[in-house]
Amino acid sequence: MNPSLPWFQNLPLWVTAVPLIGALVLLLVPKEKRRVFELGALAITIFDFLLSVPLWFQYDRSTAAVQWVTKLDWIPSLGVKFSIGMDGISLVLFLLTTFIGFIAVWCSFSAIGERHKEYYVWLMVMQFSMMGVFICQDMFLFYLFWELMLVPMYFLIAIWGGPQKLYAAIKLFLYTLAGSVLMLVAILAIYFLQAKTTGRYDFSFESFHAMAPIIATQSRNFQILLALALFVGFAIKVPMFPFHTWLPDAHVQAPTAGSVILAGILLKMGTYGFVRFLLPIAPDATKVLLPWFLALTLIGLIYGALVAMIQKDMKKLVAYSSVSHLGLCMLGVFSMNPNGLQGAIFQMLNHGISTSGLFLIVGIVYERRHTRMIADFGGLSKTMPVYATIFMIMTMSSIGLPGLNGFIGEATIFMGAFQVHPWWAVVATTGIILGAAYMLWLYQRVMFGPLNETNAQMKDLNAREIAYFAPLVVVAFWIGLNPTPIMEILAKPVEKLVIQVNPDFYKHEELAKVQAEAAKVGMAAMAAPAHHEAAEAHESATPAAEVHGGH
Amino acid sequence: MPFAESLWGNLVQDLPLLVPVLFLWIVGTLMLWPLGSWLLKSMPKRQWSGITFVVLLVTLVLVFRTPAGQGFSGMFQVDGLTTGFQILAIVAAAITVILSQPQLNALKEQSVEYYALILFSTSGMMLLVGATDLVSLYMALELMALCIYILVGYLREQDRGIEAGIKYFLLGAFSSGLLVYGMSLIFAAAGGKTTNLAALNQALALAPRNAELMIFTGVILVLAGFGFKVAAVPFHMWSPDVYDGAPTPITAFLSTAPKAAALGAFVRLFGTAFNGVHGDWAAPLSFMAAASMILGNIAALRQQSMKRLLAYSSIAHVGYMLLAVLSHDAQAGAQAIWLYMLTYLLMQGGVFAVIIYLQGKGEGERIEDFRGLSKRRPMLAFAMLVFMLSLGGIPPMLGFFAKFYLFKLAIEQGFVTLTVLAFLTSAISAYYYLNVVATMYFKEAPEGEAQPMGSGLSIVVFATCLLVLVGTCLGPWLMDWTARIVLV
Repeated sequence: MNPSLPWFQNLPLWVTAVPLIGALVLLLVPKEKRRVFELGALAITIFDFLLSVPLWFQYDRSTAAVQWVTKLDWIPSLGVKFSIGMDGISLVLFLLTTFIGFIAVWCSFSAIGERHKEYYVWLMVMQFSMMGVFICQDMFLFYLFWELMLVPMYFLIAIWGGPQKLYAAIKLFLYTLAGSVLMLVAILAIYFLQAKTTGRYDFSFESFHAMAPIIATQSRNFQILLALALFVGFAIKVPMFPFHTWLPDAHVQAPTAGSVILAGILLKMGTYGFVRFLLPIAPDATKVLLPWFLALTLIGLIYGALVAMIQKDMKKLVAYSSVSHLGLCMLGVFSMNPNGLQGAIFQMLNHGISTSGLFLIVGIVYERRHTRMIADFGGLSKTMPVYATIFMIMTMSSIGLPGLNGFIGEATIFMGAFQVHPWWAVVATTGIILGAAYMLWLYQRVMFGPLNETNAQMKDLNAREIAYFAPLVVVAFWIGLNPTPIMEILAKPVEKLVIQVNPDFYKHEELAKVQAEAAKVGMAAMAAPAHHEAAEAHESATPAAEVHGGH
Repeated sequence: MPFAESLWGNLVQDLPLLVPVLFLWIVGTLMLWPLGSWLLKSMPKRQWSGITFVVLLVTLVLVFRTPAGQGFSGMFQVDGLTTGFQILAIVAAAITVILSQPQLNALKEQSVEYYALILFSTSGMMLLVGATDLVSLYMALELMALCIYILVGYLREQDRGIEAGIKYFLLGAFSSGLLVYGMSLIFAAAGGKTTNLAALNQALALAPRNAELMIFTGVILVLAGFGFKVAAVPFHMWSPDVYDGAPTPITAFLSTAPKAAALGAFVRLFGTAFNGVHGDWAAPLSFMAAASMILGNIAALRQQSMKRLLAYSSIAHVGYMLLAVLSHDAQAGAQAIWLYMLTYLLMQGGVFAVIIYLQGKGEGERIEDFRGLSKRRPMLAFAMLVFMLSLGGIPPMLGFFAKFYLFKLAIEQGFVTLTVLAFLTSAISAYYYLNVVATMYFKEAPEGEAQPMGSGLSIVVFATCLLVLVGTCLGPWLMDWTARIVLV
């Protein structure tokens, strides 16, 4: 375990606080100074991103332990602590947040025409609350940040959104709120079960994870209800079929930056919740319900792809492709083995990059033509070559072309899924094929074909637009060509997670390996105690690590 | 005459417990007497509310200085619950008094009696929360209610005002009848020897088997009586009309102070006297709680008038708080209600201050009137946003902490289904609260701006807003304090 840092030395805490401080500073600027808000917000987010880069190097990849830990007493009578820290899974998403953050600000310069002050302030609050979700290590704090996210998002959509903005914003708000209150019920149920059985009043993630064996001894109904409450809470956020209906509305109505943040980060909260809470806290109930969960996942995956195919609106198409892609993530999560989970988290990252990119791409043509109908476009590749190139890269990234980021995630997820649910995985591949179909078809319809006169007037990307696409393209290639560093970050935490969720997984492999070794050396007697140790090694998990390394 | 002497001696001995209440009585009476009213009338009318406010502050200090103890032959008791809920009643009354000043000025309806009635009513509440005997409880309840009947019908030249007054009076009197009848049944069932709450609990435990039906009927009738007072479904019918018709400050008063006091007494009565017969009232009370949450929130969705919206949402909030009354642990229940009520009355006070501020001359209480407020008066709109989010229980607002505390208790007590219902209905409530926010922030302002009133009011709005915001930061610690303040 890392020693606890005092709060003022805790870098992630500062990275999280920067947007909030920035928002307070922006509040003091008179509202006519549009340029100050734009550049100020950009400066804040870029500074924040740069500040977060050292975390990548500081992170100790050799352990699954939570790092940058700071714990302060907050509400002693309830056992709530101001407790923060990150492991690899949080770190990856945290960095994604700071990365997407400045792109979201940058792309808003031309798109936002009114009420600049409020807009950038809300955007900063949004950044703050999203990062808060990833760094906290206390359920109460988690819930606070989780809900806090809704308020800025509500305003971003409801003020700067499209014609149906009010409807979309309130739908997003109510759906998510309904899910999260169910989650809160589940949290409280675990909290009191903990108080009853162990006498501890503690909201920390650690103690919640430690409740898993006790929850497993409760009645079947309790476990299933608990798992369902958590499931619905997170599934709405993901969103999984049939809880996805808020997503197309929210995406289509949101301003570009709102869509980027929604797709890039907000949707990851749901999958993060699954990985962080549902699996480790209620693994047994999840296994019981797994066929249902998987069925919903696959329906979402294929249904999302099919609906995306028939869309006439580009943004809606990308929105439904999110439903489909996150279905793939969930397939990885529900594989509950190292490959599946690692791939799922990897895919969360990829989806954040490629779908944000696609929303930006839609935003570009929308700003120029004020329409998003696919039928209104055609032949753009002739007038907008740079745009066409970036669009192509993002499309390829989205459909998982080898060499780009999407491929790594998809491949790893399928490796994981085939190990446990081969038939489900076969069905899921159709979603991928459909994905390639609708994306390429979209590209074809927008980029090729006859160019009409209005479209011929459209300007190619300007310097600012190239500037915010460039990091996305670079990262897409970098991850695609060299995924190992991120895989390394994820390896240990995922391994720990698999031990929590699916201890049998390593037991079988370990047993086989130990027996093989023993047979080779001729010391069969060693096999039994070694196996015993492996089964108990929940925290250190060193033997399991070897297995994984050779995997 | 040893008996009389000991009576007198006891009275003198117990008097310190009632000092704050006596203070209110004396001041209230002086205000109404020729000399006092002459004194008051010799100064500008707008100072009356200031004087009343100061009186209430003094009472607050006196409450803090009142020693704990029991007296008056076990009729009245000062303990943590009493002190805590007395504070709530006084704070609510103080907010009302400040809100009354500009409103009554605008309506040209300032009168000394108005303020005196608020003081008397507050004294009734203060007695009510400390009552430990059926008789004193009933007397205090009536003292509180009688004054409010008059205040509700205060605008006697408006039809709506008279309608509200009559409606509230008739239904209130009817519910008092139910209450008294229920109490008498219980008194009889318990052997007809005692009306003291603690003694009743023991007596009811020893009651013969054939008295069960009598106890059950009595408890249900008492429950109905309290249901009327706190406006829980199905005894809520009066509240939207009364809220609508009463002068707006009185609506603010009505939705906070009597509810706080009645809930305090509710917890004490059901937690002590009827604790042994928990089974008799748990199911009906659960029904009342569930129905209040559902109906209150769903009916609020369709309201056009701000006051009616708040009336229905108030029904829903009472529904949540009934979960705490239901608790087997009366002390924990009282704590949760106390915290909830404290935050609720701050937010409610703030919202009503905004309404009155915008109301001009008695008009403009529709949600529509809030259109474009964010552009016209950004700070006011922001304050309203804070109140709305807080009322909706959206984290990290103050209201969330109170709700969390309450729902935590409910789950701890094992009312999981009810709590899930509470959570889901509070998600519904987010819709109508956000609707107000949306109206302020996303709809265009109407032509021709209504003349706002009372610059003093804006101070109230911001002070309350600040309190809620500070409370948001202090919310967690507030939860810790709760444990110290209320101890049954």
